[in-house]
Amino acid sequence: MRNLVSNARVAWYAILSGANDYWAIFTLKSWIFGWCVRMISQVSFFALIGKLLRSDLQTEFLLVGNAVVIAAAAATFAMFMTTSERGNGTLSLLLASPSRPVVVFAARGVYVMADGVFSALLGLFILGPAFGLHFPFPRILLVIPLTLLVGTSAYCFSTFLAGVILRYREITGLVVNATIVTLMALCGVNVPVSFYPTWLGWISRCLPITNGLEAIRDVINGSPWSSIAAHTGAELLVASVWLSLALATFGRFMRAGQRDGSLEYAS
Amino acid sequence: MRAFLAGARMQLRFFRAYPDGLIPFFTAPMFSIIFQMNFRHAGRQDLTAYAAIAPVFIALWWLALFNSGWTITTERWNGTIEMLVAAPSSFAANIFGRITTTTLVGVVSFVETWGVARLIFGTKVTIHHVWPFLATVVVTLAAMAGTAVAMAALFVLARNATTFSNSASFPFYVLGGILVPVSVLPHWIQPLSSAVFLSWSADLLRAALRPTPMHDFAFRLGMVAFLGACGLAVGTWSMRVILVRVRGSGELGTT
Repeated sequence: MRNLVSNARVAWYAILSGANDYWAIFTLKSWIFGWCVRMISQVSFFALIGKLLRSDLQTEFLLVGNAVVIAAAAATFAMFMTTSERGNGTLSLLLASPSRPVVVFAARGVYVMADGVFSALLGLFILGPAFGLHFPFPRILLVIPLTLLVGTSAYCFSTFLAGVILRYREITGLVVNATIVTLMALCGVNVPVSFYPTWLGWISRCLPITNGLEAIRDVINGSPWSSIAAHTGAELLVASVWLSLALATFGRFMRAGQRDGSLEYAS
Repeated sequence: MRAFLAGARMQLRFFRAYPDGLIPFFTAPMFSIIFQMNFRHAGRQDLTAYAAIAPVFIALWWLALFNSGWTITTERWNGTIEMLVAAPSSFAANIFGRITTTTLVGVVSFVETWGVARLIFGTKVTIHHVWPFLATVVVTLAAMAGTAVAMAALFVLARNATTFSNSASFPFYVLGGILVPVSVLPHWIQPLSSAVFLSWSADLLRAALRPTPMHDFAFRLGMVAFLGACGLAVGTWSMRVILVRVRGSGELGTT
């Protein structure tokens, strides 16, 4: 119990610290005219493919998929936390402290994920009607917790990857960007999972986004509750597995880096 | 010229030291897969040309945008920008050398994108108008480099160049019609697109991959060259003005 309270306190301070980072990066103006415009353009870019194909079904499929993926993409950005700790010279302090570094890393990027979820929903609810989609009310409100689930799931995956690349800070940007585009290609964002070969479909189901996104599409399409529940359960399971993997391996990756000296403490 | 070449050499070394600069070479093939899947799933193999061109533009734009932004930022972080500006050779030529090298390296994305389309989907990209295609590629690369110089100038003043870099990707992909032609965009956006060289260039490259005759080729190519030259002129002029100003105010190395 004492351990839990202590970890919760560390996580809370990490979240606060992350939120302060966030406001140092963005002002309201730069968030709206920078990030928001980019996000709206990104979703429109893919939704317009549906217009090119003159298919309302494709437009809806692409718009929903690429709006939701914004939450996952932002969660993946959290991988930059490891690099920034090293860049700021705070990694050594973190390692020397008695708390578990993974708690700090897992909590410090929560604001990025939260921002991503908010942006994804904003994109969906602004662009949906703009592209002529009709969302079923009040059922559509379920999309809010489901998008949060997708973001959280991607965040667990991202925290695991952050541990893997902790020792290779030169390639953080490469891994983050390649991961986002790979998830966009493999997670049923742009084509249904049934389009993939069977083996790839299975891989896709083990990744974050896929199952949660299907649950979201089910909500919008008016599919049975059993289907929504099954996909939601699958996404919860995937998120738990990636979180467990992150918790189990993060410390090992860090100790390995300390042992062989590859974990330099400042950029 | 010597400053230009020195910049080019420096940029090649940067690529070796910082693999993050090679991000587009990992993402371009993935975008190629995504777009090919989109069109195949819709049963529209006739749109292969669209899927073949867009990832190349994404790679080239990313390289120009992020490298021009980072060029200045890294010089500031390294504390070398003062020395670079104080050197007797041209600061603008050095920066242009780095940007041109980056843009030329981006040509690799053509090979990657089309290779992936062929290997995974068996899609063969045929260039029906070879000379117009080559001319468009050359002028596009020059325009890309020219536009990047304008951005580099802007980034000298911008304290947070990366925020701008991160935001200026997809808006230009949409405005430039790199995947979905400008004619599909809402009418009120279309005049804005005309001012973006990507829209002229993407249209030309797609047309060169179609067997039908290309119309108004010289004018459209001229527009790519003109808009790229505007970017270069604005960039070179602003860099000169900005350098005079920040030297005077002592803000050059402020990070």
